[in-house]
Amino acid sequence: MSAREQILGKIEPLAEIKHPGAFQGASEDFDFKASLELVGARMVSPEELERIFPNRQRLEKTLDGLSLAEVEVLEIDGAFGVAENGAIWLTEEALPHRVAPFICQHLVIHVQKIVPNMHAAYEELTNQTTGFGLFLAGPSKTADIEQSLVIGAHGARSLTVVIHA
Amino acid sequence: MLSHSEASENFIADAERTDWHDETLWFVRAKRDKASKVLPEWEALREHASQVKDHTLANLGEYLVAFEAKANANGIHVHWAADAAEHNAIVHKIIADQGSKILVKSKSMLTEECHLNDYLAEKGIEVVDTDLGERIVQFRNEAPSHIVLPAIHLKKEDVGETFHKHLGTPKGNKDPQFLTEAARQHLRGHFLASEVAITGVNFAIAETGEFVVCTNEGNADMGAHLAKVHIACMGIEKIIPKRADLAVFLRLLARSATGQLITTYSSHFHKPREGQEMHIVLLDNGRTRQLADPKYKNSLKCIRCAACFNTCPVYRRSGGHSYHQPVAGPIGSILAPNIDKKANADLPFASTLCGSCSNVCPVKINIHEQLWFWRQDLMAAGLAPIGKSIGMKLMAYTLAHPAIYRLGGSLLRRFSGLLNSGLNPWYKQREMPQAPKESFQEWYKKR
Amino acid sequence: MRVALFVPCYIDQFYPQVAVASLELLEKLGCEVIVPTDQTCCGQPMANSGFASSTEGCDANFTQNFEGFDYIVGPSGSCVLHLKEHHPSEKIRNSVYEICEFLTDVLKVSALSATFPHRVGLHQSCHGQRGLRLSSMSERNEKPYSKLEDLLSLVNGVEVVMPEREDECCGFGGTFCVTEEAVSVKMGQDRIKEHAANAVDYIVGADTSCLMHMEGILRRQGSKVQVKHIVEILNHA
Repeated sequence: MSAREQILGKIEPLAEIKHPGAFQGASEDFDFKASLELVGARMVSPEELERIFPNRQRLEKTLDGLSLAEVEVLEIDGAFGVAENGAIWLTEEALPHRVAPFICQHLVIHVQKIVPNMHAAYEELTNQTTGFGLFLAGPSKTADIEQSLVIGAHGARSLTVVIHA
Repeated sequence: MLSHSEASENFIADAERTDWHDETLWFVRAKRDKASKVLPEWEALREHASQVKDHTLANLGEYLVAFEAKANANGIHVHWAADAAEHNAIVHKIIADQGSKILVKSKSMLTEECHLNDYLAEKGIEVVDTDLGERIVQFRNEAPSHIVLPAIHLKKEDVGETFHKHLGTPKGNKDPQFLTEAARQHLRGHFLASEVAITGVNFAIAETGEFVVCTNEGNADMGAHLAKVHIACMGIEKIIPKRADLAVFLRLLARSATGQLITTYSSHFHKPREGQEMHIVLLDNGRTRQLADPKYKNSLKCIRCAACFNTCPVYRRSGGHSYHQPVAGPIGSILAPNIDKKANADLPFASTLCGSCSNVCPVKINIHEQLWFWRQDLMAAGLAPIGKSIGMKLMAYTLAHPAIYRLGGSLLRRFSGLLNSGLNPWYKQREMPQAPKESFQEWYKKR
Repeated sequence: MRVALFVPCYIDQFYPQVAVASLELLEKLGCEVIVPTDQTCCGQPMANSGFASSTEGCDANFTQNFEGFDYIVGPSGSCVLHLKEHHPSEKIRNSVYEICEFLTDVLKVSALSATFPHRVGLHQSCHGQRGLRLSSMSERNEKPYSKLEDLLSLVNGVEVVMPEREDECCGFGGTFCVTEEAVSVKMGQDRIKEHAANAVDYIVGADTSCLMHMEGILRRQGSKVQVKHIVEILNHA
């Protein structure tokens, strides 16, 4: 008997318990900028961006992730931001390669739209069929050494967000 | 192997380090409190998450089959493993087919549970753990002591020493920033060179066949997106029905774990990238047995946030290694006996049943009640030390017979001085209560 | 109101003053208090050690002593919680009250003639707090409340201070206190340290077992801090 049959055979259906449906009563009063700061990112105006990162790259699609290893400042477009936690939804369609937002040293994301919370965020994703997508909140970080927060573990060392309302 | 109480005694012998460990983890719990208390709907979120998991477990077979069908349609290879040995063999075959001798792995408690690294090492394959904390303990040949903060038992001096030895950082440098940078450079080399990447899975969605991996460092993504082959290993309990359910779980997970609003990266792997092979291994290893027992079924709701570790007053003062299992803390103490009763018979007793764990748990697992049930099951299985069985029977007999109880009580009070002895563990660091001349009942009779 | 006083075994033998204070306080508040004289124990020491299967005789004895009462009141959150959760008789489970909850919820006490001019540190015992919900807990996002503090607020002169970690376990834990001696004592020492930092005269709680454990450590340390069960304060003239 295959492991699959074995495992499924051992699972007896339990008394039905209903799925609770969509969560009701979620808070909506969040400030995207404040959340961005809490996750270690910064929000800037287009003019400030020009000053901070005059040399940034928008890259073409590539199948070779390793070719991005030397990218200093990568500029991409996010689908939308989430006010409650500063996360930005990215899909591979808007990325040169799946590894791009991780392998670059600094990341710049342009955001056109903000939703209040994660429930609203997943409503946006109802018909999403991308092969890879992620919520990205701030730069790469770790606190694995004595709980000391260090920015720039393996991924981007900074995240700069520009909002185009 | 030392029992939990023996290992704890060794841990506590270094009082200063114990205090530091306790305070550091209490700080994490405090961050969790703050993050949870700014959300008025926190308790409703916990209840909702618990209900989604209840519903999923009631229909687990159907959801697993649905997930498999969707994942297959998405181009992901789905494998089933009944136990750790099957799991390891499946993973090994995938790696061997690729011809790799070295690979990167992000955090997966499930691969710890299966002792995958040791297994692959025997087959001549080196696993490079890429989570910073896991890399640190891997260098030191230790097990993680915490499922979210694997190296929380170590001080920065220890890490500095370890990196000096393994990465050639300057002796004496213990700056977390500097040491993290050294690990970044070291591991980047491995990310760029590895053809196989293993990751864990935080959630798998039956509706879409996708799976979600959460990290703060970005190590899972760095590995998976550069490798030709991505193997994701998951327990069958990681299934949730719908993508929209993630809203609730992602809101709870990081806030419960570290007090963050969300992990830095919540990556949704839906299809392999062009030219990539993607595998998922679904592991049982005793989970179906737990599912079938109504007393323990709820332990399968766990989303591995470790809030129960951070809040546990025993864990904070005994360290993860005292639990001698890959998953320590309160949740580990109710998972481990399911795998091996005898080896883990001490763990359900490593608790005061204070109940803090059940109340921080984001999916409302009744952890302390399950600890109590395990105590009954383990003793019923004959795993009590002989002295304890006799003592308990004697106590039960005494307390069932009021006259014997009264006699025993008066003897105990009269000769309580005899208990002031090194043989009495109470007396080692505590005075015995001062015995009154009269019991309450004796006083009451004369009233 | 007719009330049966449940006196846990270790209180009967080692802390009779807690039972005396309970009896006197309930009588002062107008209750007719009956003390079943053949009572022994709730059965928790066996059950929490994994021997719930051995408590039949003990349970039967408890039933025999208490089944005739609609109100069974005991000065121990832990023993009462055990009875509520595990006693085989439904009548017993539904009739048993921890004394503080009985005072606030059933008698609805709004005044006491007690005076206790001291600074006391409140110890939240886990089984009373998280099990019987005598007060809100720090783990949950809920409105703060405390039946113990409500009662202490009726006492003249008492000053209540909370330790920094206001509801961490003291480490008693039943047989845990001897089987996990090192952790148990460390937990107790840490609780005491926080109370001592508040310069309290007494550590006060609703569970004598926790107090017994902390008292043992305090006395070994030669500390001047004493322990008292809350009913001793509520009954203090």
